[in-house]
Amino acid sequence: MTSPVTTAPLTPTRAPAETSTIAQTWALSVRSIQSLLRQPSLIVPSLIFPLFFAALGTSSFSRATGLPGFPAVDSYLDFALAGAIVQGILFGSTTGATALATDIENGFFDRLLASPSTRTGIIVGRMAGGMAYGAFQTLFFVLVLLPFGLSIKGGIGGVVGLMVSGTILALAIGALMSAMALLTGSAEAVQGAFPLLFIALFFSSAFFPRETMSGIYGTMADFNPVSHLVEGMRDLVIEGVSASALARAILVPAALAVVSIALSLRALRHRLGAS
Amino acid sequence: MRTDQAARPINTRRTPHSAAAVGLAKRSIVNITRLPSAFLPSVLMPVFQSIAFAGTFFAIIQIPGFPTDRSINWFLPLGTLMGAGFAGIGIGFSTIRDLETGFYDRIRLTPAPRSALITGPLAAALIRAALVTTIVIIVGLIFGARPTHGPTGVLFLYVAAAGIAALGTGWGLGLAFRFRDMRAAAIMQLTFFLLIFLTDAQTPLFIMDGWLELVARINPFTNVIRLARLGFLDAPITWNNIWGGLIAIVAISALTLTFARRSLARLSDS
Repeated sequence: MTSPVTTAPLTPTRAPAETSTIAQTWALSVRSIQSLLRQPSLIVPSLIFPLFFAALGTSSFSRATGLPGFPAVDSYLDFALAGAIVQGILFGSTTGATALATDIENGFFDRLLASPSTRTGIIVGRMAGGMAYGAFQTLFFVLVLLPFGLSIKGGIGGVVGLMVSGTILALAIGALMSAMALLTGSAEAVQGAFPLLFIALFFSSAFFPRETMSGIYGTMADFNPVSHLVEGMRDLVIEGVSASALARAILVPAALAVVSIALSLRALRHRLGAS
Repeated sequence: MRTDQAARPINTRRTPHSAAAVGLAKRSIVNITRLPSAFLPSVLMPVFQSIAFAGTFFAIIQIPGFPTDRSINWFLPLGTLMGAGFAGIGIGFSTIRDLETGFYDRIRLTPAPRSALITGPLAAALIRAALVTTIVIIVGLIFGARPTHGPTGVLFLYVAAAGIAALGTGWGLGLAFRFRDMRAAAIMQLTFFLLIFLTDAQTPLFIMDGWLELVARINPFTNVIRLARLGFLDAPITWNNIWGGLIAIVAISALTLTFARRSLARLSDS
């Protein structure tokens, strides 16, 4: 007796459709975002800590806003928002790169390389997830702090500008940390590099204006691109939308992104050559 | 056939408490050189924090009534206490590692008195905290910190650091014994971090506004930070600024070390 299954023709009715680069990247981006959402313990610190520091700073430094060198602001909270956004994105972008390093450690990255997906799609997909999270973080901080007295002089346009800036910054930091993940293949090494970002944040004008710093601190803040990025974002909040503010808020992270993407692609080539 | 081992009498002598405690303390200190990656953050972090905060928030000394004219004098004691706290909590981390690898079970099988499993690591934490404090002070002096009341004033910083290390050790060990895995590490760090920052860590109480001032006034850690800063501020050292910090250290250390002892007993019962 023959079963219908064994006698069924084996020829496929149609050839499997080759997925486009965009579809592959999209699928990997969705995976990246889902992996973040499924592990809230990884993303909660990047949402809570910046808010905690903003609240702490607002209560601690409210009288400091009258000091010489401080820009005219309604409250320290308005001043602190840009620093909180950058701080949150630094935290969050490291999480995405750590996940990439974990993929390398557990062999999933090699399986992706063995699949017919494009090489750049693998990296871009991971970064796209980080960019979406960066935009979400920016909006989250704005919405949470609004009831606590935050005022954004730039209005809706200012918020959109902040989100664009946050998204590009997430790309820049994500690419930089991904380069580290690709070079080392170690989640611990990526985490170990995080303090360097923290140092870049603290030796900038993220928490206090450059004009109030002196000596070597002021010089370091002057040369630190994070200072110029934060000041552009801050101007969108405390002064309103202007060409100068938008240029600094968007072009500085864009320049950082170009450099860090080049680094990460180079690291990818290095890894492909080694494997 | 006769074996020497079979003929040897079973050792029923109880290990003296001091010998066991010193042995455990030595092991912890030796681990600094064997696993520097676990200890270095507790040195580098307070050094970085002292310097970075002093530079970033340099301008706050211009606020009328600020108790020092050097921002590093204000932030150095805070950085030191953070380092001392993490020296204590670090003992909790290494205990978790020992619990996970099973080494701690072997320690518990030895005839060492149970209390030595607390006092040994405590001694190690105090030595680590003294080391961190000395390093932070030296780096702080290079970056412009100047003690205002000589060695006596600096001594208060060492006392406060030792107190924070002691309470950090109790808290770290207690949580390690309860959770027995790295979940405890996150709780240790987060609670310590919150308790330190919900004080006058960044600015004096009279400068604060709103909720933080209220929280900082009732937070006993505020008294400990005040004690630590005595030797670095322009105000005279008075008993009023000392006793609150000492009581806070003794009371919280007693509580956390009791918590650690009870958690150890519970670990032994399970």
